[in-house]
Amino acid sequence: MTAVQLIADIRDYPWRNLFAGILPARFQPKTAQIVPSASIAGNALTVVIAIMSFLACLTAGAVYMVNQSAEAWVKDISSEITVELDPVNTADIEKKMTLVSLFLAKQAGVTRVKPLTAEDSAKLLEPWLGHSEALSALPIPRLIAVEIDRSNPPDIKAVSAALSQNFEGVTLDDHRRWRAEIRTLTRSAALGGFAVLALVAAATVAVIVSATRSAMASNREIIEVLHFVGANERFISREFERHFVGLGVRAGLVGAVSAALVFLLLPVVMHLLGGEPATATEMSRLVGSGELDLKGYLLCMLVVFVIACLCMITSRLGVIRVLKSYA
Amino acid sequence: MIRFENVGLRYGSGPEILRDVTFHVVPGSFHFLTGPSGAGKTTLLRLLFMSLRPTRGLIFVFGENVSDLSSAGRAELRRRIGIVFQDFRLLEHLTTWENVALPLRVMGKKESDYREDVTDLLRWVGLGDRVDAYPEILSGGEKQRAAIARAVIGRPELLLADEPTGNVDPMIADRLLRLFVELNRLGTSVIIATHDYGLMDQLDAPRLVLYEGHLEIR
Repeated sequence: MTAVQLIADIRDYPWRNLFAGILPARFQPKTAQIVPSASIAGNALTVVIAIMSFLACLTAGAVYMVNQSAEAWVKDISSEITVELDPVNTADIEKKMTLVSLFLAKQAGVTRVKPLTAEDSAKLLEPWLGHSEALSALPIPRLIAVEIDRSNPPDIKAVSAALSQNFEGVTLDDHRRWRAEIRTLTRSAALGGFAVLALVAAATVAVIVSATRSAMASNREIIEVLHFVGANERFISREFERHFVGLGVRAGLVGAVSAALVFLLLPVVMHLLGGEPATATEMSRLVGSGELDLKGYLLCMLVVFVIACLCMITSRLGVIRVLKSYA
Repeated sequence: MIRFENVGLRYGSGPEILRDVTFHVVPGSFHFLTGPSGAGKTTLLRLLFMSLRPTRGLIFVFGENVSDLSSAGRAELRRRIGIVFQDFRLLEHLTTWENVALPLRVMGKKESDYREDVTDLLRWVGLGDRVDAYPEILSGGEKQRAAIARAVIGRPELLLADEPTGNVDPMIADRLLRLFVELNRLGTSVIIATHDYGLMDQLDAPRLVLYEGHLEIR
């Protein structure tokens, strides 16, 4: 297919037919469709495509949210480094905390130094060990959170070397391992999402192929008459594909709107099902706010567009293939 | 315009329906195609219309060897041919007007450009009051006239008609024959398959007679 033909196809496409039955009568085409809608596919196909669209939007939206959330995590932890002080063999840990903090504050590219108290450090372990007085008896490492200027970051290696040289039992963690793990997590989520989308696309194609064959069989007489009046394969395939594109757009929109409602109502449903604030917190760690932003909704519209394109291309190729078998 | 050279046709491994058929149709000519039932008239028309391929021999339509044509090329040539079927082949979900306008729609013409033409032609074939009727409520004769109107609306260079007057009364048959003659006078070549001798006797036109698969020109 040449670019010129593609442009001509898009220009001449009977776009209004996509919304047959939805638009007011004055916007409807005046002449009847050569291939009647009722002979193409029943409600079952519309429902199947709508479900496919729903699943695809849900997957795309979830992957998008996880990705957004992970990006936020990475951004957060990239602008901070942590300095850890070994509590063992340190007589006056508080003094050492102050000295290290002062040393860090002098480094270029460091914007803020926040020494964490022993209680703060213990609180970080509470999600795993629970709240216990015994924690205070444990040799918990002391931490100093250091915010860095991302536009002018310090030389982490040099700072780390200087710390090791000047202070015994002090290490620096630039969160590289965590960032790598988060990236692995988001890549895995994206890969899983793509796998689901590929399966949805394959199922949609299979359903459309089957529906196209069935539509061609039930409209064989119309195809013959179109041949007799000089219609070429392109004209005939367009008569069929316009139905499938219309069906794809309508069913795709139903699926996308349903998925959008799920994203909107998810926090409410979780609350109604008795989710504790902690559950909401865990959810928000995983998927951020749990709501799609504008880009997320545009992604759902993109899914609808892709489904409509799949319907168009699959039905076109299917019709042309069947027509060639007639010849 | 049309040339058949030693054309033979058989369905599957059955006997040959047409054998060594050779003839030539020049532009602006008028022919009757006749022969007993089962002689192969409809098969010959289908070969002329390129909806069948010959088992052997050569067929040239408008100077093109149909064996060398792609499906798009055949479609292009079919637009220059009008055909009337014995069983009408009207689309049941379209009105009479829409059925007749179908070839123009396929050609990509704008509806506003042909609206009046289609209505006038329907009036001329006596279907002026059946414009919005669907085929299922038309009589056999009315369907026949609608099918003829559909075949001629695109001003074809060649008109093929399979028993076009088989379902109409003598008055309408005369009128339809006059339509074919008028089209022929305007330059359309006409081939009418019929075994209605009364119809053939009204016109001094060559007859292509099919008998036992062979073609004879009288």
